[in-house]
Amino acid sequence: MGRTGKALLIAAPLAAGTVAVAAARRRAARGPAAHRTHVLTVYKPIDELQATQLPGSLREIADGVEISLRAAPGDRGTEIAVRIPDGSSVTDGDVRRALRETRSLIETGDVLLPSGPATTTPTLLNRPLQTATRKGREGGLL
Amino acid sequence: MKALQWQGVNKLAVGTVPDPELRNPGDMIVRVTKSVTCGSDLHLLGGYIPFMEKGDVLGHEFLGEVVEVGPDVRNHRVGDRVVVSSFISCGNCWYCDQKLFSLCDNGNTNPAITESLWGHAPSGCFGYSHAMGGNAGSHAEYIRVPFADVGAFTVPEAVSDERALFASDSASTGWMGADLGGVKPGDVVAVWGAGAVGQMAARAAVLLGAERVIVIDRLDNRLQQVDRHIGAETINYEKTDVSAELRERSGGRGPDVCIEAVGMEAHAPGPHFGYDQIKQQLRLQTDRPIAVREAIHACRKGGSVFVLGVYAGFVDKFPLGALMNKGLTVRGAQMHGQRYIPMLLDRMAKDELKTEHLATHVLPLDRAPEGYRMFKEKEDGCVRAVFLP
Repeated sequence: MGRTGKALLIAAPLAAGTVAVAAARRRAARGPAAHRTHVLTVYKPIDELQATQLPGSLREIADGVEISLRAAPGDRGTEIAVRIPDGSSVTDGDVRRALRETRSLIETGDVLLPSGPATTTPTLLNRPLQTATRKGREGGLL
Repeated sequence: MKALQWQGVNKLAVGTVPDPELRNPGDMIVRVTKSVTCGSDLHLLGGYIPFMEKGDVLGHEFLGEVVEVGPDVRNHRVGDRVVVSSFISCGNCWYCDQKLFSLCDNGNTNPAITESLWGHAPSGCFGYSHAMGGNAGSHAEYIRVPFADVGAFTVPEAVSDERALFASDSASTGWMGADLGGVKPGDVVAVWGAGAVGQMAARAAVLLGAERVIVIDRLDNRLQQVDRHIGAETINYEKTDVSAELRERSGGRGPDVCIEAVGMEAHAPGPHFGYDQIKQQLRLQTDRPIAVREAIHACRKGGSVFVLGVYAGFVDKFPLGALMNKGLTVRGAQMHGQRYIPMLLDRMAKDELKTEHLATHVLPLDRAPEGYRMFKEKEDGCVRAVFLP
């Protein structure tokens, strides 16, 4: 690869990184985002869910959030909405994890655990990925 | 136990790793007897899917013997000979109920990565990066199989290991392309790629009653396999103008169904290959969509294009105008193995579906790095390398 190619190989990711950082700064400049409502659909009729208390980690954070249930259209089950009130110590990550684990408990009776024991070796390069997957159910868009 | 581990971009080694453990009551442990390379592994090997960690165990298409079952496993016992779907699905969520098993809501322990990248997370897969759950793969002596009652299937006595192995992924994927692509009796079907998945898609189209099935590739040994084992026609794209040839063979209409079984590292003669290659290497696009572009251009008006090849992110010069103005239906999916494996095993038992010819190279697991090199470089006519742990 020629000098121009090498320069592009270095410059392209740097440029993309610069754009991403600038976008993050613009978002941060707008101030802290208000908590929004997290909603997830569970494949179980609402009458079956209302009859019993919601299981798992959603119950553990129930005191710090507002939970509401609504029948999903088209026989898709039940929409569980969770809102974090101002002043609550519950985080968006807590809610995402609780919703995902609760859905799995309701639908399958269990929450899938990652493979184990680990076969991987920590390195400088895979540290960000290991950090992300350590809390794999807390991130994302939910 | 011994396992083939990803050690970095284009670096593989057989190492010693801890034996897998039952982690959930629905798990079982399988002693792997056969495990096979897949073209999509090459995307992990080449660093195109950047969610691998040093030490990850590769492999997602396999067959073996049950050696331990969790307390909730009902359909399997120690000693059963099983073939396992490469995607891990719970069997109870809305997507599983719709038989869209690779979209399962509960089978991926790391949904955040793909949810951020694609908007929603597909299910988990064996040996296919931490974006797909970080599950240890099958190029190993033993493997943990979660949701075992849903994803593992006992192999009938009439089906050999060599044949059943490919029900795990290649045959399921290929069948899905023809099925969800909407192949009907009388159709003309074109399949891009004469690897194992492309061949299985072509065979599925034949069995579903297509009038003509045409497979496109550049490797003569693979096209010869299509001719000999699949019962379909062929086009060598390095020797023939594919679009013109398809028009001619379909009465000027274009194929009714186009199935793309190539993926993000497609090749092509001509300057557009260089263009895509440079953009991909500079990470200005993540995938080379050469075969998808060609399929969309060739497909008849109102026809169907099914994308079976694996893509990770973003592509350039996508022919949206052709898609819209020709009224095409474009679909894609990771494979819904649980939907097809019982039917495929049944067809294998009746000799309607034969796969043994795909295993051109059979090696002990110790020689897996060599097997991947042969597979990647297409050395010695390698179509698939099968490993014996």
